[in-house]
Amino acid sequence: MRIVCPFCGERELGEFTYLGDAKPVRPAAGAGADAVYDYVYLRDNIAGVMSENWYHGGGCRAWLKVTRNTLTHEISAIEPAAGAGAAKVGA
Amino acid sequence: MAEFSWDVRSPLDRALAVGRYGARGDAGVTLTEIRNFDLVQVMARRGKAAEMAKAAKARFGSAAPKTPQAVQGSDATLIWSGPDQFFVLSKGGKHAIGALGQAFAQSASLSDQSHARVLISVSGVKARAMLAKLSSIDLHSGVFAVGAAAATSMDHTSVTLWRGNDLADGLAVFNVLVFATFAESLWHTMLDSAAEYGLAIAHSEQLA
Ligand SMILES: [Zn+2]
Repeated sequence: MRIVCPFCGERELGEFTYLGDAKPVRPAAGAGADAVYDYVYLRDNIAGVMSENWYHGGGCRAWLKVTRNTLTHEISAIEPAAGAGAAKVGA
Repeated sequence: MAEFSWDVRSPLDRALAVGRYGARGDAGVTLTEIRNFDLVQVMARRGKAAEMAKAAKARFGSAAPKTPQAVQGSDATLIWSGPDQFFVLSKGGKHAIGALGQAFAQSASLSDQSHARVLISVSGVKARAMLAKLSSIDLHSGVFAVGAAAATSMDHTSVTLWRGNDLADGLAVFNVLVFATFAESLWHTMLDSAAEYGLAIAHSEQLA
Protein backbone atom coordinates (compact mmCIF):
# COMPACT_ATOMS: atom_id res chain seq x y z
CA MET A 1 0.00 0.00 0.00
CA ARG A 2 1.14 3.53 -0.75
CA ILE A 3 -0.15 6.81 0.62
CA VAL A 4 0.08 10.11 -1.24
CA CYS A 5 1.11 12.58 1.46
CA PRO A 6 -0.27 16.02 0.54
CA PHE A 7 3.10 17.49 1.54
CA CYS A 8 5.62 14.85 0.37
CA GLY A 9 3.97 12.99 -2.48
CA GLU A 10 3.56 9.22 -2.89
CA ARG A 11 5.31 7.18 -0.20
CA GLU A 12 5.49 3.57 0.95
CA LEU A 13 3.39 2.37 3.86
CA GLY A 14 6.50 1.88 6.05
CA GLU A 15 6.88 5.64 6.47
CA PHE A 16 3.43 5.92 8.08
CA THR A 17 1.87 4.95 11.39
CA TYR A 18 -1.83 4.15 11.75
CA LEU A 19 -3.72 5.77 14.59
CA GLY A 20 -7.25 4.68 13.78
CA ASP A 21 -10.74 6.10 13.36
CA ALA A 22 -10.74 9.85 12.69
CA LYS A 23 -14.42 10.24 13.54
CA PRO A 24 -14.56 10.24 17.38
CA VAL A 25 -14.72 13.75 18.81
CA ARG A 26 -13.58 14.51 22.34
CA PRO A 27 -16.67 15.14 24.52
CA ALA A 28 -17.14 18.59 26.02
CA ALA A 29 -15.73 19.14 29.51
CA GLY A 30 -18.30 17.92 32.00
CA ALA A 31 -19.76 15.29 29.66
CA GLY A 32 -21.05 12.17 31.35
CA ALA A 33 -19.00 9.03 31.98
CA ASP A 34 -20.80 7.16 29.19
CA ALA A 35 -19.78 9.75 26.57
CA VAL A 36 -16.14 9.65 27.73
CA TYR A 37 -16.12 5.86 27.82
CA ASP A 38 -17.51 5.80 24.28
CA TYR A 39 -14.88 8.29 23.07
CA VAL A 40 -11.94 6.48 24.67
CA TYR A 41 -12.85 2.83 24.15
CA LEU A 42 -15.67 2.16 21.73
CA ARG A 43 -14.91 1.90 18.02
CA ASP A 44 -16.94 0.85 15.02
CA ASN A 45 -15.42 -2.04 13.10
CA ILE A 46 -16.13 -0.73 9.63
CA ALA A 47 -16.02 -3.03 6.61
CA GLY A 48 -15.96 -0.41 3.89
CA VAL A 49 -15.14 3.27 3.56
CA MET A 50 -13.67 4.75 6.73
CA SER A 51 -12.03 8.02 7.79
CA GLU A 52 -8.66 7.34 9.46
CA ASN A 53 -5.78 9.21 11.06
CA TRP A 54 -2.31 8.41 9.75
CA TYR A 55 1.04 9.89 10.84
CA HIS A 56 3.85 10.47 8.34
CA GLY A 57 6.51 9.89 11.01
CA GLY A 58 9.08 8.54 8.56
CA GLY A 59 8.71 11.67 6.43
CA CYS A 60 7.38 15.17 7.09
CA ARG A 61 5.90 14.25 10.51
CA ALA A 62 2.46 15.62 9.61
CA TRP A 63 -0.84 14.04 10.65
CA LEU A 64 -3.14 13.14 7.79
CA LYS A 65 -6.83 12.30 7.45
CA VAL A 66 -7.18 9.41 5.02
CA THR A 67 -10.45 8.07 3.59
CA ARG A 68 -9.84 4.37 2.96
CA ASN A 69 -11.92 1.33 2.07
CA THR A 70 -10.94 -1.32 4.63
CA LEU A 71 -12.08 -4.11 2.27
CA THR A 72 -10.03 -3.07 -0.77
CA HIS A 73 -7.44 -0.65 0.71
CA GLU A 74 -8.56 1.82 -1.94
CA ILE A 75 -7.86 5.38 -0.78
CA SER A 76 -10.34 7.95 -2.06
CA ALA A 77 -9.20 11.11 -0.24
CA ILE A 78 -6.23 12.39 1.77
CA GLU A 79 -6.00 15.73 3.50
CA PRO A 80 -3.84 17.28 6.24
CA ALA A 81 -5.31 16.76 9.69
CA ALA A 82 -6.56 19.90 11.44
CA GLY A 83 -3.60 22.03 12.53
CA ALA A 84 -0.97 20.34 10.37
CA GLY A 85 2.10 22.53 9.90
CA ALA A 86 1.47 26.07 11.15
CA ALA A 87 -2.17 26.10 10.04
CA LYS A 88 -4.64 27.50 12.53
CA VAL A 89 -7.11 24.89 13.74
CA GLY A 90 -10.59 25.77 12.56
CA ALA A 91 -9.32 28.64 10.40
CA MET B 1 40.59 14.47 39.01
CA ALA B 2 39.41 13.20 35.68
CA GLU B 3 40.30 15.29 32.69
CA PHE B 4 37.52 16.46 30.44
CA SER B 5 37.70 17.33 26.81
CA TRP B 6 35.04 19.48 25.21
CA ASP B 7 36.48 19.16 21.73
CA VAL B 8 33.75 18.97 19.13
CA ARG B 9 34.00 15.63 17.36
CA SER B 10 31.92 14.11 14.62
CA PRO B 11 29.60 11.26 15.65
CA LEU B 12 31.33 9.36 12.80
CA ASP B 13 34.79 10.06 14.25
CA ARG B 14 35.40 6.39 15.04
CA ALA B 15 33.40 4.75 12.27
CA LEU B 16 34.74 6.76 9.34
CA ALA B 17 38.03 5.43 7.96
CA VAL B 18 39.33 7.61 5.15
CA GLY B 19 40.37 5.66 2.05
CA ARG B 20 39.04 2.76 0.00
CA TYR B 21 36.49 0.13 1.01
CA GLY B 22 34.86 -2.81 -0.74
CA ALA B 23 35.46 -3.95 -4.31
CA ARG B 24 38.76 -3.00 -5.94
CA GLY B 25 39.10 -0.95 -9.09
CA ASP B 26 37.50 2.41 -9.75
CA ALA B 27 35.31 3.48 -6.83
CA GLY B 28 31.66 3.45 -7.93
CA VAL B 29 30.51 5.41 -4.89
CA THR B 30 32.07 8.30 -2.97
CA LEU B 31 30.89 8.95 0.60
CA THR B 32 32.00 12.25 2.10
CA GLU B 33 31.04 13.40 5.54
CA ILE B 34 30.73 17.20 5.71
CA ARG B 35 31.86 18.47 9.12
CA ASN B 36 31.47 21.68 11.12
CA PHE B 37 28.37 23.27 9.66
CA ASP B 38 25.68 25.49 11.14
CA LEU B 39 22.21 23.96 10.92
CA VAL B 40 19.09 25.69 12.24
CA GLN B 41 15.54 24.39 12.00
CA VAL B 42 13.00 27.16 11.39
CA MET B 43 9.35 26.31 12.16
CA ALA B 44 6.54 28.80 11.61
CA ARG B 45 4.31 29.52 14.58
CA ARG B 46 0.55 29.00 14.28
CA GLY B 47 -0.81 31.16 11.49
CA LYS B 48 2.59 32.79 10.85
CA ALA B 49 3.74 30.89 7.75
CA ALA B 50 3.42 33.95 5.49
CA GLU B 51 5.37 36.13 7.94
CA MET B 52 8.08 33.48 8.21
CA ALA B 53 8.35 33.35 4.42
CA LYS B 54 8.72 37.14 4.30
CA ALA B 55 11.44 37.07 6.97
CA ALA B 56 13.31 34.32 5.11
CA LYS B 57 13.17 36.26 1.88
CA ALA B 58 14.53 39.38 3.61
CA ARG B 59 17.31 37.41 5.28
CA PHE B 60 18.45 35.08 2.50
CA GLY B 61 17.35 36.86 -0.66
CA SER B 62 15.36 33.84 -1.78
CA ALA B 63 12.00 32.45 -0.74
CA ALA B 64 12.00 29.54 1.69
CA PRO B 65 10.87 26.33 -0.01
CA LYS B 66 7.13 25.64 0.32
CA THR B 67 7.44 22.21 -1.28
CA PRO B 68 10.17 19.55 -0.89
CA GLN B 69 13.05 21.54 -2.40
CA ALA B 70 16.49 22.81 -1.44
CA VAL B 71 16.97 26.46 -2.38
CA GLN B 72 20.25 28.33 -2.55
CA GLY B 73 20.17 31.64 -0.65
CA SER B 74 23.00 34.04 0.03
CA ASP B 75 25.60 32.02 2.00
CA ALA B 76 23.01 29.41 3.01
CA THR B 77 20.99 26.51 1.66
CA LEU B 78 17.32 26.41 2.68
CA ILE B 79 16.02 22.85 2.79
CA TRP B 80 12.33 21.94 3.19
CA SER B 81 11.82 19.68 6.22
CA GLY B 82 8.03 19.56 6.51
CA PRO B 83 4.97 21.79 6.17
CA ASP B 84 5.82 25.37 7.20
CA GLN B 85 9.34 24.47 8.29
CA PHE B 86 12.83 24.34 6.78
CA PHE B 87 16.51 23.98 7.62
CA VAL B 88 19.13 26.69 7.19
CA LEU B 89 22.45 25.06 6.35
CA SER B 90 25.50 27.32 6.34
CA LYS B 91 29.06 27.72 7.57
CA GLY B 92 31.09 30.22 9.56
CA GLY B 93 28.43 31.48 11.98
CA LYS B 94 26.81 34.08 9.73
CA HIS B 95 23.48 32.20 9.82
CA ALA B 96 23.99 30.29 13.07
CA ILE B 97 21.15 30.27 15.59
CA GLY B 98 22.41 33.32 17.47
CA ALA B 99 22.46 35.32 14.26
CA LEU B 100 18.99 34.24 13.10
CA GLY B 101 16.97 34.83 16.28
CA GLN B 102 16.20 38.47 15.55
CA ALA B 103 15.15 37.82 11.94
CA PHE B 104 12.49 35.27 12.91
CA ALA B 105 11.50 36.64 16.32
CA GLN B 106 7.97 37.49 15.17
CA SER B 107 7.20 34.49 13.01
CA ALA B 108 9.04 31.25 13.78
CA SER B 109 10.64 29.09 16.44
CA LEU B 110 14.27 28.11 15.91
CA SER B 111 16.12 25.02 17.01
CA ASP B 112 19.89 24.57 16.68
CA GLN B 113 20.61 21.23 14.99
CA SER B 114 24.30 21.88 14.19
CA HIS B 115 25.58 19.09 16.43
CA ALA B 116 22.41 17.01 16.29
CA ARG B 117 22.78 15.89 12.66
CA VAL B 118 25.43 14.33 10.49
CA LEU B 119 25.70 15.38 6.86
CA ILE B 120 26.75 12.71 4.37
CA SER B 121 27.28 13.47 0.70
CA VAL B 122 26.86 10.54 -1.73
CA SER B 123 28.14 10.66 -5.30
CA GLY B 124 29.76 8.45 -7.93
CA VAL B 125 28.55 6.52 -10.98
CA LYS B 126 26.87 3.92 -8.72
CA ALA B 127 25.39 6.39 -6.22
CA ARG B 128 21.82 5.80 -7.42
CA ALA B 129 22.22 2.02 -7.46
CA MET B 130 23.56 2.11 -3.91
CA LEU B 131 20.86 4.49 -2.64
CA ALA B 132 18.13 2.40 -4.30
CA LYS B 133 18.88 -0.29 -1.71
CA LEU B 134 18.17 2.15 1.13
CA SER B 135 15.52 4.51 -0.17
CA SER B 136 12.11 4.13 -1.81
CA ILE B 137 12.41 7.59 -3.39
CA ASP B 138 12.77 7.60 -7.19
CA LEU B 139 16.16 9.28 -7.69
CA HIS B 140 16.11 9.17 -11.49
CA SER B 141 17.43 12.42 -12.92
CA GLY B 142 14.12 13.18 -14.62
CA VAL B 143 12.19 12.78 -11.35
CA PHE B 144 14.58 13.95 -8.65
CA ALA B 145 16.27 16.95 -10.27
CA VAL B 146 18.95 19.24 -8.85
CA GLY B 147 17.32 21.03 -5.89
CA ALA B 148 14.76 18.28 -5.21
CA ALA B 149 14.42 17.33 -1.54
CA ALA B 150 12.58 14.75 0.55
CA ALA B 151 11.82 14.14 4.20
CA THR B 152 11.97 10.36 4.16
CA SER B 153 13.44 7.26 5.78
CA MET B 154 16.46 5.13 4.96
CA ASP B 155 16.81 1.79 6.68
CA HIS B 156 13.97 2.84 9.06
CA THR B 157 15.91 5.99 9.99
CA SER B 158 14.49 9.46 9.37
CA VAL B 159 16.61 11.50 7.00
CA THR B 160 16.46 14.72 5.05
CA LEU B 161 17.59 14.02 1.52
CA TRP B 162 18.29 16.51 -1.24
CA ARG B 163 20.13 16.66 -4.53
CA GLY B 164 22.90 19.26 -4.63
CA ASN B 165 24.55 20.74 -7.67
CA ASP B 166 26.15 18.22 -10.01
CA LEU B 167 29.92 17.75 -9.86
CA ALA B 168 32.17 19.20 -12.57
CA ASP B 169 32.09 15.81 -14.33
CA GLY B 170 28.28 15.88 -14.43
CA LEU B 171 27.70 13.29 -11.71
CA ALA B 172 24.82 13.85 -9.27
CA VAL B 173 25.37 14.57 -5.58
CA PHE B 174 22.87 13.36 -2.97
CA ASN B 175 23.05 14.91 0.50
CA VAL B 176 21.72 13.06 3.53
CA LEU B 177 21.12 14.67 6.92
CA VAL B 178 20.66 12.06 9.64
CA PHE B 179 20.23 12.31 13.42
CA ALA B 180 23.65 12.14 15.11
CA THR B 181 22.80 9.11 17.24
CA PHE B 182 21.61 7.15 14.18
CA ALA B 183 24.51 8.24 11.96
CA GLU B 184 26.90 5.40 12.77
CA SER B 185 24.22 2.79 12.11
CA LEU B 186 23.23 4.35 8.78
CA TRP B 187 26.90 4.80 7.89
CA HIS B 188 27.56 1.06 8.25
CA THR B 189 24.44 0.29 6.21
CA MET B 190 25.73 2.63 3.51
CA LEU B 191 29.12 0.89 3.51
CA ASP B 192 27.41 -2.49 3.12
CA SER B 193 25.25 -1.17 0.26
CA ALA B 194 28.19 0.36 -1.59
CA ALA B 195 30.81 -2.34 -0.99
CA GLU B 196 30.08 -4.24 -4.22
CA TYR B 197 30.70 -1.07 -6.27
CA GLY B 198 33.93 -0.06 -4.52
CA LEU B 199 33.88 2.92 -2.23
CA ALA B 200 36.00 6.03 -1.66
CA ILE B 201 35.56 7.49 1.85
CA ALA B 202 36.50 11.00 2.91
CA HIS B 203 35.50 13.87 5.14
CA SER B 204 35.47 17.52 4.27
CA GLU B 205 34.88 20.94 5.79
CA GLN B 206 33.37 22.27 2.55
CA LEU B 207 29.64 22.45 1.95
CA ALA B 208 28.98 21.24 -1.58
ZN1 LIG C 1 4.63 13.79 4.39
